[in-house]
Amino acid sequence: MRGGCRLLTVLLLALLRGICRGREPAPGAVTCGSVLKLLNTRHSVRLHSHEVKYGSGSGQQSVTGVEASDDANSYWRIRGKSDGSCQRGTPVKCGQAIRLTHVNTGKNLHTHHFPSPLSNNQEVSAFGDDGEGDDLDIWIVQCSGTYWEREDAVRFKHVGTEVFLSITGEQYGHPIRGQREVHGMPTANHHNYWKAMEGVFIKPSMDPAKHDEL
Amino acid sequence: VLSDEEKRKQYDAYGEEGLKDGHQSSHGDIFSHFFGDFGFMFGGNPRQQDRNIPRGSDIIVDLEVTLEEVYSGNFVEVVRNKPVARQAPGKRKCNCRQEMRTTQLGPGRFQMTQEVVCDECPNVKLVNEERTLEVEIEPGVRDGMEYPFIGEGEPHVDGEPGDLRFRIKVLKHPVFERRGDDLYTNVTISLVEALTGFEMDIAHLDGHKVHVARDKITKPGAKLWKKGEGLPNFDNNNIKGSLIITFDVEFPKEQLTNEQREG
Repeated sequence: MRGGCRLLTVLLLALLRGICRGREPAPGAVTCGSVLKLLNTRHSVRLHSHEVKYGSGSGQQSVTGVEASDDANSYWRIRGKSDGSCQRGTPVKCGQAIRLTHVNTGKNLHTHHFPSPLSNNQEVSAFGDDGEGDDLDIWIVQCSGTYWEREDAVRFKHVGTEVFLSITGEQYGHPIRGQREVHGMPTANHHNYWKAMEGVFIKPSMDPAKHDEL
Repeated sequence: VLSDEEKRKQYDAYGEEGLKDGHQSSHGDIFSHFFGDFGFMFGGNPRQQDRNIPRGSDIIVDLEVTLEEVYSGNFVEVVRNKPVARQAPGKRKCNCRQEMRTTQLGPGRFQMTQEVVCDECPNVKLVNEERTLEVEIEPGVRDGMEYPFIGEGEPHVDGEPGDLRFRIKVLKHPVFERRGDDLYTNVTISLVEALTGFEMDIAHLDGHKVHVARDKITKPGAKLWKKGEGLPNFDNNNIKGSLIITFDVEFPKEQLTNEQREG
């Protein structure tokens, strides 16, 4: 039974891991379907969105960086492209194309050729409806190694405009005082590193039909 | 309804400073020239009648499941990393609220002012902790059903944490279509089979074979009902729906040769 499989693995560690087929290859990796908060490591703020639109640029829903660690509006869901390629629990590989969907509003992390309001970099917005936006919602996870590990700081490079998701520290005033501007910038530097923080990380499941009985 | 509550909680944070515990605030016309359309919701929300215990936000996680998992059930392990309030040295201000204070300016003259008043509480800091949760996908589960984990949502420093809810999203299957507890599938047979009969096995969601045998003529669009070969009922797994097979007949693409006409 499935419970016996797990017990064996715990007792005999790596030795018997081969018997239980399908045990995850990268236990600390971020997987598709997971919901998480992303921390910009240089500025210690979390990627965030809310029902507040930009007053300039595209006028779409704004994306900011917030200091609070307990705001539910900072949760993003990791999904593959719209071809259904990334199954629930599959670890995200370095170099893989993903979409980040804002959990509370259902809009995808998006960027396009509009200037950002404070720093005149490229505006990053939240776009779409119920998780479906357009081709400018796709980002490549840049990291060293095979999979996107939760402890690692990674970069997000936009497919289409080639910019990196970044924060350089500019702050908004009222009504979102203290929140930082999130924008896209063309150069890779220490402003575009992000780390997975709080969240719900889904592990790969065994295929129910093919499970080996022990 | 829930999303209204979450939006309301978020916009509390953007209101006037000093309001920290879930009270609604009226923002008036505060607009910065960077932002248009500051949309948010007020609304009587029945869940928060008891204002004395503020609550953190709920988190809803969509859990995609395959039809195979709906048939056989499955377990999903999940690691929850969340901020937890832990004791810290010192004191902090908590339960801040606005109160009206009356000050005496002179004999018979009073002034009422609004003041922010806070209590003192032991200091807390938010520390990230991890634990593994297990969600069971029960056989027969339906799209939209939720599995809640009480207290695993967002914390609230002055109150209780919200809940974590997994919402089931059943994915489309390439072969079977679900309608309630019944499964629908299409099978294509050749013209010869349609006229003279056939036998075949259809692979079901857990791999077992469903045997189909016909010895009569099968018209295009004919349906065959297989009772008990559908999905298990969520409330009673022993009851299963039916599998309905619709037959499509494949006609030859090119004209028949003389030999084929004879045969």
